[in-house]
Amino acid sequence: MLFFNRKFLVGSSIILLFIVVAIIGLTVTPQDLRRAGAMPPRLPPGVGGLLGTDSLGRSVTLQISEATLKSLQVGLIAATLGTVLGAVLGFTSGYFGSWVDALLRVLIDVFLSVPSLLFLILIAALVRGVDVPVMAIIIGAFAWASPARQSRAQVLSLKEREFVRLAHLSGLSNFQIIFGELIPNMLPWLGANFVNAFLSAVLAESGLSLLGLGPQREMTLGMMIYWALSYGAILQNLWWWWLIPVVVLMCLFLSLYLVHLGFDEVSNPRLQQAA
Amino acid sequence: MIRYLVERSIIFVATIYISVTIVFFIPRLIPGDPLGAVFLNLAAVGGSLGASDLVEEYRRMFGLDKGLWEQYVSYLRELFRGNLGYSIGSFPSQVSDLLRAALPWTIGLLSVTTVLSWILGSLFGAWVGWRGEKSRFTQAIVSVALLLYTTPYYILALILVFLLAFQWPIFPLSGAYSAGMTPHLSWRFVKDVLYHAMLPALSIVLVSLGWWFLSMRSLIISLKGEDYILLAEAKGLSQQRILWHHAFRNALLPQVTGLALSLGNITGGALVTEVIFAYPGVGWLIYNAIKSLDFPVIQGGVLLIVVSVATANFIIDLIYPLIDPRIQIGSA
Repeated sequence: MLFFNRKFLVGSSIILLFIVVAIIGLTVTPQDLRRAGAMPPRLPPGVGGLLGTDSLGRSVTLQISEATLKSLQVGLIAATLGTVLGAVLGFTSGYFGSWVDALLRVLIDVFLSVPSLLFLILIAALVRGVDVPVMAIIIGAFAWASPARQSRAQVLSLKEREFVRLAHLSGLSNFQIIFGELIPNMLPWLGANFVNAFLSAVLAESGLSLLGLGPQREMTLGMMIYWALSYGAILQNLWWWWLIPVVVLMCLFLSLYLVHLGFDEVSNPRLQQAA
Repeated sequence: MIRYLVERSIIFVATIYISVTIVFFIPRLIPGDPLGAVFLNLAAVGGSLGASDLVEEYRRMFGLDKGLWEQYVSYLRELFRGNLGYSIGSFPSQVSDLLRAALPWTIGLLSVTTVLSWILGSLFGAWVGWRGEKSRFTQAIVSVALLLYTTPYYILALILVFLLAFQWPIFPLSGAYSAGMTPHLSWRFVKDVLYHAMLPALSIVLVSLGWWFLSMRSLIISLKGEDYILLAEAKGLSQQRILWHHAFRNALLPQVTGLALSLGNITGGALVTEVIFAYPGVGWLIYNAIKSLDFPVIQGGVLLIVVSVATANFIIDLIYPLIDPRIQIGSA
């Protein structure tokens, strides 16, 4: 069971903790600290200023809270889009077979063998001034290949099992079989895919932002590092400005990976025995 | 076998064709006429350089006055000739020349670091995996490897820059060689290049080391109960001999596949890392093109990486059956 899996528990608690702390940070900190010059510039972390200020006197506390939530939002939207799209395509491919399958298989292989960050760079370079939802949708639109391949494989193996044959014999429609019999059996496993897509989306967001293609008017973890680097935070030794988002990103990646491993162990009993 | 080759070739051709087509349609499908903006930029640059020919050349190549289908055909024709057009930002350089200058830096850095981290990670992973017991030591190492593996190259790069170039200035902050040096073949220059490559290389090696270590370790652990290992033990062979001559050799095959796959991805592997270090490879080129709205260079860089990754994957698909006899072609 998922909720007894240690990796899942540790990973998801860390993510939850970050969300809660970020929401508290966002609500408790006065909103006008967002403005340049609201506090003395280059203030190191301390009791009064909490996490300090950047070189323009804006609150790092506020920035990191907003950035964490926005980055997770990118992950959530993109992963939902990518997983749903991938599952639908994979299902269609695996369940109906024949020429549909042949065509979709080539398409899946094509998109798996090309690093999607490149298409994202091209699109983001042309769509000037993306915001968080647009960026998430662009990332999600290129995140379907891996879930599609895996749902296809799953459907192929489930399709031949007894209970699906039985459903066929008892006269259920394709639609009923897919939603009533196949999907419930694939849920934990779709969860693993979702978390994986989530991780890749947060990764893509920070990569694009560091290339200067992120949402210029909003704060994400990638954008926060981008601005810090642009203003020379490392050379000015304002470590709290760039290191805090870096550490948050690392913690998020690690805990998302743990959640992924957890899902994997639950959906794949062979792994459980080995562990 | 023939069926497999045909299938792989179809996928390869389809990959190239579909990605080239996507690259063509993306700027034309995005609302707000982004190509028009590129042309405005181009006209400004061309005008200031007195090169109205450039604008004309682009009109011809993109064929913006013609229908979509004609544009598409002329785009494919120019690509086939290897013509990626002129850069807007550093006119009158050709995009292909800029890419040709950047590519060796990317390939040099990534190929050396990929192979190095693979060797180190595999050896170390096998050694730790063989020891097996769940001591504090192994648990600590596995956690560190997990943390490294889940960290992107460029994030670790930032930390390394801070520690080893700023806090303790052992290595240079950025660049591929000292300012004022011109690339030439001499011991002094090679030494300078190696010195500048140390930090970017270290960030890539450490991150990928995490993955090679973890995968080799779990491979070795899974092999431990196998019959031939038990037999080797029954024969009274030393632990070291069983590990390196029997277990390690068998675990090497999947690791080699992994190495081949990451070698295929090297051109697109560390774009952002190059940005952090201002390392003059393809990633740095694309980054600067983004900043100066130099669309032909962005497009050329993207096409170059897509084509080289697809080609590398195709080559791996072709040689893979030769290295792994367990692959059953035909059933796949």
